[in-house]
Order: sequence, then C-alpha cells, then structure tokens
Amino acid sequence: MERITVAHLARVEGHGGIDVTLAGDRVADVNFDIFEGSRFFEQLLVGRTWDQVPGIVCRVCAICSAGHYVTALKAVEDALGIKVSPQTEALRELLFLGQMIESHALHLFCLAVPDFLGYGGVIPLANDRPDEVRLGLSLKKLGNELQTAVGGRPVHAVNAIVGGFGKLPDPEVLRSLGRRLGEALEQAPAVVALFASLTVPNHSESPTIYVALEPEGEEFSFFGRRIVASTGETFEVHDYRRVTNETVVGHSHAKHSRLGGRPYMVGSLARLHHWADRLTPRARAVAREIGLTLPTENILYNNHAQAVELVWSLERAAGLIDELLTAGMKEETPVEVVWSEPRKGTAATEVPRGTLYHSYEFDAAGRVTAADIITPTAQNLANVEKDIRACAEKLAGKPDGDLVNNFEMIVRAYDPCISCSVHLIRLA
Amino acid sequence: MKPRVGIYGLTSCAGDQLVLLNCEDELLDIVAAVDLRSFVMAQSDPAETELDVAFVEGAVAQLRDLRMLQDIRQRAALLVAIGTCATWGGIPALTGENEVAGAKRRVYGSGIKAKPGFFENLPPTPLSRHVKVDLAVPGCPIEPEQLLTGLASLLHGDLPRLPKYPVCAECKMKENSCLLVRDGAACLGPLTVAGCGARCPSLNRPCMGCRGPIEEANYFAEYRRLMELGHDPKEIRLRLQTFAAPAAALEA
Repeated sequence: MERITVAHLARVEGHGGIDVTLAGDRVADVNFDIFEGSRFFEQLLVGRTWDQVPGIVCRVCAICSAGHYVTALKAVEDALGIKVSPQTEALRELLFLGQMIESHALHLFCLAVPDFLGYGGVIPLANDRPDEVRLGLSLKKLGNELQTAVGGRPVHAVNAIVGGFGKLPDPEVLRSLGRRLGEALEQAPAVVALFASLTVPNHSESPTIYVALEPEGEEFSFFGRRIVASTGETFEVHDYRRVTNETVVGHSHAKHSRLGGRPYMVGSLARLHHWADRLTPRARAVAREIGLTLPTENILYNNHAQAVELVWSLERAAGLIDELLTAGMKEETPVEVVWSEPRKGTAATEVPRGTLYHSYEFDAAGRVTAADIITPTAQNLANVEKDIRACAEKLAGKPDGDLVNNFEMIVRAYDPCISCSVHLIRLA
Repeated sequence: MKPRVGIYGLTSCAGDQLVLLNCEDELLDIVAAVDLRSFVMAQSDPAETELDVAFVEGAVAQLRDLRMLQDIRQRAALLVAIGTCATWGGIPALTGENEVAGAKRRVYGSGIKAKPGFFENLPPTPLSRHVKVDLAVPGCPIEPEQLLTGLASLLHGDLPRLPKYPVCAECKMKENSCLLVRDGAACLGPLTVAGCGARCPSLNRPCMGCRGPIEEANYFAEYRRLMELGHDPKEIRLRLQTFAAPAAALEA
C-alpha cells in the first residue's frame, strides 16, 4: 500500500488535506481531511432573538459572509411571512453580487489561475504577469466596494436588516460604481483571453450529478425556490434535507452529503449546467470564447464557469444600479415585526460556491430554538473525493508530484471554503 | 534585511486574513516590503522558520490550534493577534467549557470512528490564554487602516498605537444622534473599543460590540441604563457576550 498525502492544502480558505491510499494501480481509499476547528454555531444561536441571527451567522465565513447574511435574512423573513419591497430586493442583490464578484475574482486570479500557469501563488505570478494580476485585484476591489456601499463594509455587512436597510446607500456612490462596472465590463476581453489560454487537464472526468436552484424569473439568477438535480429530480427549498442527507465521516469535521446515495456537485458549474441558456448574450459569448462546452464532467471547468458568472455579475450589477437610480431610491418605513407563536423559516441562495441553506426555528418570543445551516462546500466534499479517486485511478503509476499537483488543482477548482463547511450544524 | 513575516489562521472565519487580501491597492507593495515566509491561505510552499513577526488570526478551539500557536510563538520575535477571535475569543468562545462536549455530541453523534486526536475540541479561547501576545489588534474583522498603519509602524521598528477610547467617541465626532438616547436601542458603543469610525451607529444600527471591550469598561452603568430603558437583563448579557464572552463573564 502506498499513501500520497497533501498535509495542508494551500490557497484555499480554511484547513484541510488530502490522503489517498493506493494498492498497486488500484485506489484503495480517498479522504479529503477537514481539520478546521468546529465552532458550534448552533450553540451560540439558541436563545438569541431573530434580529441577531444574520450578524452572528455571517461570521461562519468571511469570504461567504454576505451570502450567509442575506440567506439568514431571507430565512427569518420566511418565518415571519415578510415580503420585502423591490427596492430592498434590488439592493440586497447588489450586496450579493458584490460578494460574487469579489469571491470569484479572488479565487480565479489569486488562488486558481497560478496552478494553470505553473506558479505557487499570486505573488510570484504578479512578478511575471502584473497586468493580469492587477486586473483580478481591480475586479475584486470593485466587488468589495459594492458590498461596502450597500452593506457598510466588505467583510461582515452591518447595514442590511430584516425588511430593509439601516440606511440607504448614497446615490452618488452608486452612480460612480455603476460607471466603474461599465469600465470593468470593457475589460471582459482580457478575462476571456486569459481563460481561453489555459490548458485544462481532464484526469478527474467522471459522471457527476449537478444540483442548483432554479432561477426565480426568466433570467439567470442566484435566487430561487426550487432545487433541481441533473438526475431529473426537483425539490422545494423547504424539503432541502431530502437533497443534502448529511452524515458524519471519521476524517472530516464537516459532514458529507449524498443525493440518492450518490455524491453531487453544487457551484458555478452546476448553475451553468442547468441555466446557461438563461445568461445574457454577453455572458453566453464569454462562455463560448473561453471554451466552456456544456455539459462537462471535468470539474476544472468550474473555474471557467466562475469567469462567466463574474462577467454576468458585473453586467447585472450595472443594470441594477441603473434601475435603482432611474426609479430613485425612497426611504421606507421599517417593517413591524410581531412574534406571537413559534415559527420556522427556511431559505436557500446560490452563493459563490453553490447552494446554501439556512433554516431556523423560533419560539413565540422570536428566540432561536433550532438552527440548521448547510454550506456548499460541505455538500461538495463527497464529490471532491469522487473526483480525486477518478484522477488517482487514471494517473496511477505516475510520479507522486504529478498526482499531488492534480489533486490540489481538483480541490481548488471547487473553491472550497472549509471554515464554512465546519461551522456547526444542527440542533434537533 | 526585510523582516521575516508569517500569517496564520487558527479556528476562524479567515476574515482578518481576507482584510489583508482586500488591501488590493497595497497588497503587492506589502509583500514586496517583507519577506513573507508563510501565508497558507494565499500561497503554496510555506517555510516555517524563525520569524520577526507572526500575525495570528482565530481562537484556540482544538488541540491542533494550540500546538500550532505554541510552535509559532517559539519561532516569532513578535506575535500579533489579529481580530476579535484571537484577542477575545470572539464568537466561537461563546461555546463555553461546559458546552463543548454536549455540542460535539449533538452535532456529530456519539460513535464517531476517527483517528485518535482528530475530534479534539477545546473550549475556544483567545491567544493570550496560552502564550505571550505582544500586540492585539481587535475587530471583526480588523480595520484595513489599522492593519496598514500597524504594518508601517512595525516596519519602522515600532509598535502601533491603537485607540483606547470607546466607539461613542468616534460616533460623537461624526455628530450622529445617539441611538441609545434617541431610540433606547441596546447599543454597545459605550463599552466597545473604537477604531471602526462608529460604522454601525452611522448606519442607524446599534453597535454589536464586534471589536471587544475597552479597558475598564463600565459594564454596570450599561446594564443599569439598558434595564431602565426596559431591556431584559438576560438579553443584555447575551448581547454583551457575543464577541468577548470571557471579558463579559469576568466583568458582569
């Protein structure tokens, strides 16, 4: 028996490693070890009032903070039956898109692309290819400024509340951001050129189930109420546990998910697998030009799918700002929140790494009695192991160094967020 | 010779390391000004050598964190805690000593088959509980300005000066109307250390205390005032504990 290990994965959020056991050419075992410390968020939430939930759960993870924040707001509003105004919906989506832009730009330019070009990280890459790194950083910065304009800061927003906002963003700041989003869109050809130039190995290709939310409207979106799997099954968001089916495994502080006993993938590639035809013409053109041919069973194309979503998000954010400024933002009366009986609320969104579920139960005074958060990275863990196994089988006999590089590229393609995956889980 | 620097995360949301990566305009200058030996979140092939400065984010929440922290302390001339988790224990520290075993059982069940030592949770605690901390920069997350001015001071061989006054001071400077006075809101500004520019009250949001307490915070006065305003004492306590459970438990 031979063991190949990556003791501590670099360029991912959080702490994890890979452990593959080979018996000759056969792969005996694959473990994606998750040794990030547990923080038991459910323990902290129980007894807290509804208004404190978003501000606490966004701390599950900094990179996905706005996603957790908005999803928690939606879950609390689901419990209360609150429907927010179109203005609030648009501003929240803007906050969400800011995160999407920041997160995708960080992952693509700083964490993933260096692999494809043979660098150990963004710093050496910046020495040789400063223009591309500057482009990535400028897009990332724009995403952060969108989050700051709407949420108050780039990490752990404070301004969004149940029913609306503490303070409306400054229209002049939005106007300037709208202009800069337009300029960023003009940089799309440089993004296309970079991704079109990458050579994409196909060692991990293996049958994959893709799961994503169905967009609420006719257009591509990160919000939805129905879960669609490429097996043909569909589920209502309230029934999410029929999709996630979490179990504890001995080598991971994060639980694993299986749909019908099989691993599945959530994230950009899953979203585009299902809904690429609903993208804007510009985003569809980007997909075509960078060589993203769907369907694919090669997880490394998740990077390309993120690049497509990055451009789509810039375009969508510019459009939303335009709509908000044309309509003129109006001060809204804060919603009156009344608790009289125990309630339960559930929401799902598509965050950068895939579908995120938040579900809370409250007592008659609006205090949390139970909480359940299922993150995309946790859902992807079993699928990561499936892909590493496929790669190990295909490359068995090759030098260990090659294997390790390929394993790391596979894991990184998922853009895993390990803090998220090991946050806590449910208190039944 | 450039100072040798390591950047580490224990159990955390990685938000403070992300703040560094979010200094998009300064990032490349920063990495050029130091000899960056280890920053696993951003870079492969760390060199775990002697360091002039180690920046450590996160709370000590498992045996692995503790061993890592002790190893970093041995190698680093200066150890800087970054963020509220590293400084005060932060949100994870709300899971107190008595609760870790129960939480673990409820979350993972009782019959986990794992390598020995793999599920070794500890009650989450700040770094200073275990090793000497030379400087603590609180914030959830830290403020980029404090990080950048702090780095500049360190590069010049000096420790940065951080504010010791409360968020209220910054809130008054901004001429905000006081949420505690105006709305009777449970604002923790009077107890919380400044540095954020009173971000939340400026957005009509009461301070959550995410930066942790000032020295000699007057918990009693805050309790009394909030109770006079009709807030439930249990509720006040929970809010005070959110980001700095050990401090609040000590003082309350």
